[in-house]
Amino acid sequence: MYSFINVFGLAVGITSCILIGLYITDELSYDKFNINSSRLLRVVHQTSHEGEIENGAVTGTKAGPQLKRTFSFIEDYARLINSSRIVKYKDRQFTEKRVLYADAPFFKMFSFNLIEGNPATVLNSPNQVVLTQTMATKYFGDENPVGKTLNFGSRGDYIVTGVCKDAPGNSQIRFDFVASFTSLPVSKTEEWWTQNYITYTLLNKETNIASAQKQIDSYMRTSISAELKMTGGDYLTYVLEPLLSVHLHSANGGLEPNGNINYVYIMFAIGLLILIIACINYTNLATAQSATRLGEIGMRKVMGARRGQLFLQFVGESGLITFIALVLALVASTSLLPIFNNITGKALTTSVLFAPLPILAMLLLSVLVSFIACAYPAFILSGMGLSKILKTGFSFSKSGNGLRKTLIVAQFVISVFLIIATIVVQRQLHFMQNKDLGYDKEHLLVLPLDNSSLNNYEGYKAGLKLVPGVQSVTSAYETPTYIGWGDMIKKTSESTDKGISVNALPVDMDFVNTLKIPIVAGSNFTRADLALLDTSNGGKNYRYPFIINESLCKQLGYSPEEAINKTIYKNNPGIIKAVVKDFHFTSLHETIKPLALFLNNEMLYSTFIRIGSPDVTATVDKIGAYWKQRVPSRPFEYHFLDEDYNKLYIAEQKTASIFSLFAAIALILACLGLFGLAAFTTLQRTKEIGVRKVLGASISNIVNLLCREFLQLVIIAFVIATPIAWITSNKWLQDFAYRISIGWVIFAAAGIAVLLITLLTVGYHAIKAALSNPVKSLRTE
Amino acid sequence: MIELKHVSKWLTIGGVRTFLLKDVNLTIKEGEFVSIMGPSGSGKSTLLNVMGMLDEFDEGEYNFLHEAVHKLKEKHRSALYKKYIGFVFQAYHLIDELTVYENIETPLIYSDSKTGERKAIVADILDRFQIVGKKDLFPTQLSGGQQQLVGIARALVGKPKLILADEPTGNLNSKQGEEIMDLFKKLNEEDGVTIIQVTHSEKNAEYGSRIIHLLDGRIERIEEK
Repeated sequence: MYSFINVFGLAVGITSCILIGLYITDELSYDKFNINSSRLLRVVHQTSHEGEIENGAVTGTKAGPQLKRTFSFIEDYARLINSSRIVKYKDRQFTEKRVLYADAPFFKMFSFNLIEGNPATVLNSPNQVVLTQTMATKYFGDENPVGKTLNFGSRGDYIVTGVCKDAPGNSQIRFDFVASFTSLPVSKTEEWWTQNYITYTLLNKETNIASAQKQIDSYMRTSISAELKMTGGDYLTYVLEPLLSVHLHSANGGLEPNGNINYVYIMFAIGLLILIIACINYTNLATAQSATRLGEIGMRKVMGARRGQLFLQFVGESGLITFIALVLALVASTSLLPIFNNITGKALTTSVLFAPLPILAMLLLSVLVSFIACAYPAFILSGMGLSKILKTGFSFSKSGNGLRKTLIVAQFVISVFLIIATIVVQRQLHFMQNKDLGYDKEHLLVLPLDNSSLNNYEGYKAGLKLVPGVQSVTSAYETPTYIGWGDMIKKTSESTDKGISVNALPVDMDFVNTLKIPIVAGSNFTRADLALLDTSNGGKNYRYPFIINESLCKQLGYSPEEAINKTIYKNNPGIIKAVVKDFHFTSLHETIKPLALFLNNEMLYSTFIRIGSPDVTATVDKIGAYWKQRVPSRPFEYHFLDEDYNKLYIAEQKTASIFSLFAAIALILACLGLFGLAAFTTLQRTKEIGVRKVLGASISNIVNLLCREFLQLVIIAFVIATPIAWITSNKWLQDFAYRISIGWVIFAAAGIAVLLITLLTVGYHAIKAALSNPVKSLRTE
Repeated sequence: MIELKHVSKWLTIGGVRTFLLKDVNLTIKEGEFVSIMGPSGSGKSTLLNVMGMLDEFDEGEYNFLHEAVHKLKEKHRSALYKKYIGFVFQAYHLIDELTVYENIETPLIYSDSKTGERKAIVADILDRFQIVGKKDLFPTQLSGGQQQLVGIARALVGKPKLILADEPTGNLNSKQGEEIMDLFKKLNEEDGVTIIQVTHSEKNAEYGSRIIHLLDGRIERIEEK
């Protein structure tokens, strides 16, 4: 049984390490496959407005070309923007979400290998597209796609000029299609300010980043700031960010969600901790087990074995066990990888494992592990004097007990810490997912709104409202779960007014009532307000109808009642129609900022449908039928708003799953260790238990005696782990503007859980020992 | 005090019964000092364990202080021996992790005596056995004779009516053995404690008022003094 626990425990430990190793390797390998990776730089804009500095990964269309024209050290640039397109070939039509528009040098700069086509020319004229292998098969099957035409709906026809390998999973830039940037109308002009594009540049080999940065800074802050008529120290400049630091070190998101170097550290720590626990178990059990082998060792010594030989025997046995565990772990990690991928959202493969170098590393590691794990028992036992072994026989030194106890405490510290961390992360996640956001996010269906529907929006909307089960319909520029549009609101039209930085959202008339956002003062938009959107006479009489939130109202210095019908300015003047209660329109990492909703009938991209009927599925089907008849060119693709909301917390969900997983593993390992040690201790104390029974101890006395010792250890571990977990969890929670408070209940729950598990683990042996007949253990012979 | 009627105990190995005790009839009165002798494997220790209620038997009746032991449940049986019987072993069986004082105190803890009371009783017995100076030592720091002294002190601390001693001098040299036997004699005569001992030594057996000779699980003969 000891051997089983040893092999199993080690295998679990090594499996965890392999999986974590794969995860970390993948994170650290991001974008390194690019041959030019050290020279590829992302251009991050930095603006200073009245001393407030803001950074962002996007630039206008002008940044790339202008930098290349001005500086000889910029060899090439590529502007990138990801779009969603309806792609059609013959009868095959799909909505594609990863259509990347890129400048011509894209395939020369990055190492996305072309299977068909010439990297220099595949993107050099408008309406050219390169497909990934997967897409080539999806649309063309076995046909060669090069030279064929794909239809991009209203965007026209694109000629396939090449096929490339699928972008690797560890790439910051991923796509299904790459279309020429010149296909976009915006490519015809160059603008500094409409910042929507990710720009990458290729630095020449001779120039280092720091000097390039210096030259760009001075150029941008002087010539260009002057050109842009920026005054009072305001400036626009570009920061060159190495491609290799984008994924793990950048604060600015890009085409793909960023990783975080801190998570890499945390994962590394967890992996190390689990390996340590496994080794501790091994050492504990090996030491325990070796006690039962004193006779054997004595005999070997009598027969003339030298210390070195005995030591080698121990190391050899340990090495064999480690090797079996390693093989098991390789099998286990290969079969568990899909589950792990699911949890981490990665596409890891074990192929990297079965290369010479990792295998050598693993073998070295297992030799190291077996050495460390068996060193203590081997050293002690092989060094013991012969007479002592033969005389004391079964008994073991007290110092050994101390070490074993310390090791058990250590692994329970780790387990308790991970359990508390898991509870905290889960609770925060639960809190965020269930927090009252200030509007009702349930039963809201989200549909894209395309140009043809927008052209006859009132008719389209009226038709939707007629679908049975639909309660109300609204549309907006983006979803209320994340409003990113930044804007400026002024209280007066004077140029001295500094203005208030706000978020803004174009909405239709029914936004507030459909989302059920409570109105504090004033009333919702009415049809009459549409008349304010007067575009005649060059827009001179154009007035925005506004609905603002309480935060903005407060910053304007009005009470909600005072604010109604006041005029405020967002370039053009507008009138406040209502003040609504603050609602959360970004993730709960951030506090609620000032927000202005303004009535608009043109910049609407998403439709939100509140379903009133309890039979949601039937209603969705009916909406689908309406869609097919109304928008036949586009597949009916919908989702619910709460899915959007939950997507805000993907990182936290991942953290939660990973913590749960490894907390469970750590706890299982710790329990295995405890189980083995309890078995051993009871064995060691058989005589004592017998004596105590004869002296009148009841079964509960004995169970109590045996469990108490282990419970003490676990309580010590709990006391050590609690403050560490408290500090770490609080640090993690600092990232959230809205967070749970860590109450004693969390600690109590973790403590009670661990104590119960300990009792169960130890109790089995304790009860078995307590029920045994003392006569047997007390035989003198 | 002890009344065994037709007591048998056996093991069944491969369908064949091997008798450990066969039709044992024995009555022992309060205040007696009885020695049990016999060759190895004759069932001495088994008989002692049966009388001490540590072991069960398969057939017959056993009355202890007018209680029918064979009808009692485990819980009552252990309550009974806890109250009336003290055990002394050849290998002393002291608990290595506990001091002399704690070893002696242990039975009192299991009989739920109060702390103050316990202290007084243990102090009294330490004094009586003249081992006060050793109370904080661990068993491994004592000689064999001293350990057995502690073993007896521990057996006596609960004021039992009966002491069951399984070769109490087996691990001691003759001088130490004599001291222990003298102590038993004194306990028997002065305190009226009933003593049943298993022994190999003719000389030690002589301390008893009766010697029971066992052979192959049967009582071969009873020697009255």
